[in-house]
Amino acid sequence: MSTVSRRRTRGIGVFMALLGLVTALGFGLASGSAARSSLTFNPVDLSASAPLHLGTLTLPTAIANLVLGLAMAALGVELLVRVPRRGVMARFGAVALLFFLALLLWAVRTTGPAPINFVNVTAVLVGASALTMVLIFGSLSGVLCERAGVVNIAIEGQFIGGAFIGSMVASTTHDFFFAAVAGGAVGGLLGLVLAFLSLRYLSDQIIVGVVLVTLLSGLSSYLNLQVLTPFPQYNTGNLAPNLPIPLLTKIPVLGPVLFDQSGFFYLMIVLVAAVSYGLFQTRWGLRVRAVGEHPQAAATVGIKVIGVRYANVILGGVVAGLGGVAFMATQGQFQPGYTSGLGYIALAALIFGRWRPSGAVVASIVFGLSLYLSYNLQTFQVPVSTEVLGMVPYLITIAVVSGLIGRVRPPAADGVPYQRD
Amino acid sequence: MRLELRGITKRFGTLTANDHIDLTVEPGQIHCVLGENGAGKSTLMNVVFGLLHPDDGEILIDGVPQRFANSGDAVRRGIGMVHQHFMLVPVFTVAENVVLGFEPTSRLGRLDRARARQEIRHTSQQFNLEVDPDAIVENLPVGLQQRVEILKALNHDAELLILDEPTAVLTPQEIDALMAIMRSLAASGKSILFISHKLKEVRAISDVVTVIRQGRVVDQVPPTTGESTLASLMVGRDVTLTVSKEAAAPGAPVLELDDVVVRDDRGLAAVDHVSLRVHAGEILALAGVQGNGQTELVEAIVGMRPVESGRITLGGQDVTGATPRSVLDSGLGHIPEDRHRYGLVLSLSVADNLVLNAPRRAPFAHRGTRNLAAVRGNAESLVSRFDIRTTSVQAPLSSLSGGNQQKVIVARELSRPLQVLVASQPTRGLDVGSIEYVHRQIVEQRNEGLAVLIVSSELDEVMALGDRIAVMHAGQITGVVDPSTSRERIGLLMAGATGDGHE
Ligand SMILES: Nc1ncnc2c1ncn2[C@@H]1O[C@H](COP(=O)(O)OP(=O)(O)O)[C@@H](O)[C@H]1O
Ligand SMILES: [Mg+2]
Repeated sequence: MSTVSRRRTRGIGVFMALLGLVTALGFGLASGSAARSSLTFNPVDLSASAPLHLGTLTLPTAIANLVLGLAMAALGVELLVRVPRRGVMARFGAVALLFFLALLLWAVRTTGPAPINFVNVTAVLVGASALTMVLIFGSLSGVLCERAGVVNIAIEGQFIGGAFIGSMVASTTHDFFFAAVAGGAVGGLLGLVLAFLSLRYLSDQIIVGVVLVTLLSGLSSYLNLQVLTPFPQYNTGNLAPNLPIPLLTKIPVLGPVLFDQSGFFYLMIVLVAAVSYGLFQTRWGLRVRAVGEHPQAAATVGIKVIGVRYANVILGGVVAGLGGVAFMATQGQFQPGYTSGLGYIALAALIFGRWRPSGAVVASIVFGLSLYLSYNLQTFQVPVSTEVLGMVPYLITIAVVSGLIGRVRPPAADGVPYQRD
Repeated sequence: MRLELRGITKRFGTLTANDHIDLTVEPGQIHCVLGENGAGKSTLMNVVFGLLHPDDGEILIDGVPQRFANSGDAVRRGIGMVHQHFMLVPVFTVAENVVLGFEPTSRLGRLDRARARQEIRHTSQQFNLEVDPDAIVENLPVGLQQRVEILKALNHDAELLILDEPTAVLTPQEIDALMAIMRSLAASGKSILFISHKLKEVRAISDVVTVIRQGRVVDQVPPTTGESTLASLMVGRDVTLTVSKEAAAPGAPVLELDDVVVRDDRGLAAVDHVSLRVHAGEILALAGVQGNGQTELVEAIVGMRPVESGRITLGGQDVTGATPRSVLDSGLGHIPEDRHRYGLVLSLSVADNLVLNAPRRAPFAHRGTRNLAAVRGNAESLVSRFDIRTTSVQAPLSSLSGGNQQKVIVARELSRPLQVLVASQPTRGLDVGSIEYVHRQIVEQRNEGLAVLIVSSELDEVMALGDRIAVMHAGQITGVVDPSTSRERIGLLMAGATGDGHE
């Protein structure tokens, strides 16, 4: 294993250990011995496919969080000492989940005789899963583009385009399949524009991407005002229905989170598996990665570098466009500006996930949860500003990019134009 | 395979890099293309390999005209190429690199890694080129990486192998090993096109030598041709190949390095406890294969890279961790390794480049305002003194040839009072005429009492210039020897054998 990745692993280990100690002290010992926290596990909407019932769990806050914090610290120390080759991101994801759990336990603690406040674990996870799903679509799009050497900053724009068209098509056809096709096509088209400008004219990929996002957010606001506002029938009632998977939904907590979701969620899972497999097990993936690492070397063995890049950037655009439709389908309609930077956070997840689908999934889960909590923690009247949680993805990304908790190495030719002859 | 080139012409804009080149490689022949840097050798090879499309001319394989849309076509016709800059994906395994573009697959486009591994084992056994198929390429030493490139070509059943300056990155021992491989490949019937600008190698290995100059074939000669004849064919006029210099009269040490440790960009110790002394009036030549820490060492001396531990003194003054400006001000002249990235601004004029190290100082500036007359006067005097060929001192530096660009740096650095001159690869990419000139300037400075540190990966240069030779390997000085030491011995030191050489 390279020194770089050993250092990265150690850096993450230190970070996890420190986070664990802060949790044990700040959320644990500082809570006082009288505090109690309650957890519930039933989904909010008790549909026919409700999971098996689990009762309310009430815990002494101090002890629970002390245990959680020490467990986090232990995982960090384990990374520091053993420096394992695999599973670093999985451990990080586990520590992040424990951290959020401790935060919630602390936020709902009460010293009164009866619990007035509680955390509905299932509801939190289900709520966050929508954001996580969108981030995963976005970061998969990034994986496809950047592994081939093109930076796709336009993911946010592709989200917006997909969401807008998706809403119109879903409203008119009442069929999410057509909405997905249309949204994917818009994303792919935007990918084509990015590819054309950056591959044919060697324009700066970052600038083209930013311009596309700006264009799409302006255009969608304008069209929203001109079309969707006067004709609301084209932008309404587009919540994607859940397609519960029999039996599996009965599993407490996991059932509602993973197996009682919309078609978009299952599509996302299939895409993650397909991209993972394709990138690392197939001829296609080997060639894509060669193009992203060393395009000249790929060209010398007859691989058409520009062709691979076009294909991947368009494919990435399709995936991001689908992400936009998926997001729209969790909100029921299109609203200007409501993607609010999710495309950029997806890029952050991509970087933190080291340009791997699996890593991006873990990062998206962590980022999705922190975003969800930043929007919803107010309900618990916590004394800290919840906006801080909204900063978590950016803070982690800055820490990663600056090498604070382990430097990452992008594909060597990421963002570097390639010129034949 | 019999390869025949007829009238190959390739232009880049107005520049004709290959001008009606005719050349024939017979089966089992080692055919050398000799030429200076910029003569058009790599361009010609890229045309043969299908990476560039000729503007005119024909490529025939066994008498049949060929059209290569890309290098995949060339590979399918049995041409393999080892590029001057390796075409390997550093993060891939040996096996992945070797099969790239021609991957064995099972169902669903799945890579058949087992078969890839097996193919490679088979080819490496057949040609006696041992390498671990599962090793990550970037972790392999350069010599082995080159072997992977050769293996890659052979694995695609190459009948003609192009080697573009394959020895530039190798130690003398690795060069011997490569030559043995080339001979055995030729003996098994493969044709080899060997590109080089080094006369010794060319004479040692080739069956036929084609000399090209400025894109044209000048002559085809047998390898028994004398070195000076080859050199004058290559350059187009008579050249002296040796540097004439008298014995050094070293004085007190001027540049001293004590136990210096420097990290590279990846955080590894690129310079690993190095101690060196450069005395007034001597040239210390630092030899070593590229990438053994020489770059980082020079950057640390000049103040461009932090020193982790140890001490650097210049004329008794501690300059460890000093900024480049203060290092230069204390009397250090620096000719950097990559003149296009450091040391010159190509879009600025010759005159501005000649004052780059002192733009804010009198007489070139006064109270924050530039004194353009002084800048021009300085430029005019240096241009005539150092014989810099330019249309005007206001011409952008990019309009000068490589040799004249290098002269601009040399002129600038040597035109102020110095204690030490640090020159990295001072003649890389220069034509023989400019090499002579730069060498003469360096020896002259040393005769006038300057302490000179030369870093070069060209063994010939090191042996010609150095009064003492320090050899660097893997960040350490493996020996400091006399220039009369044999090439074999220096080669061993370059490969890491620690010598008993003392200071
Ligand atoms: N892609 C290119 N575009 C423009 N000029 C080039 C290109 N490649 C090479 N040249 C020019 O063609 C000439 C021959 O270069 P090259 O074939 O690399 O020489 P050699 O390999 O003999 O050192 C040089 O003047 C070089 O600057
Ligand atoms: Mg060349």
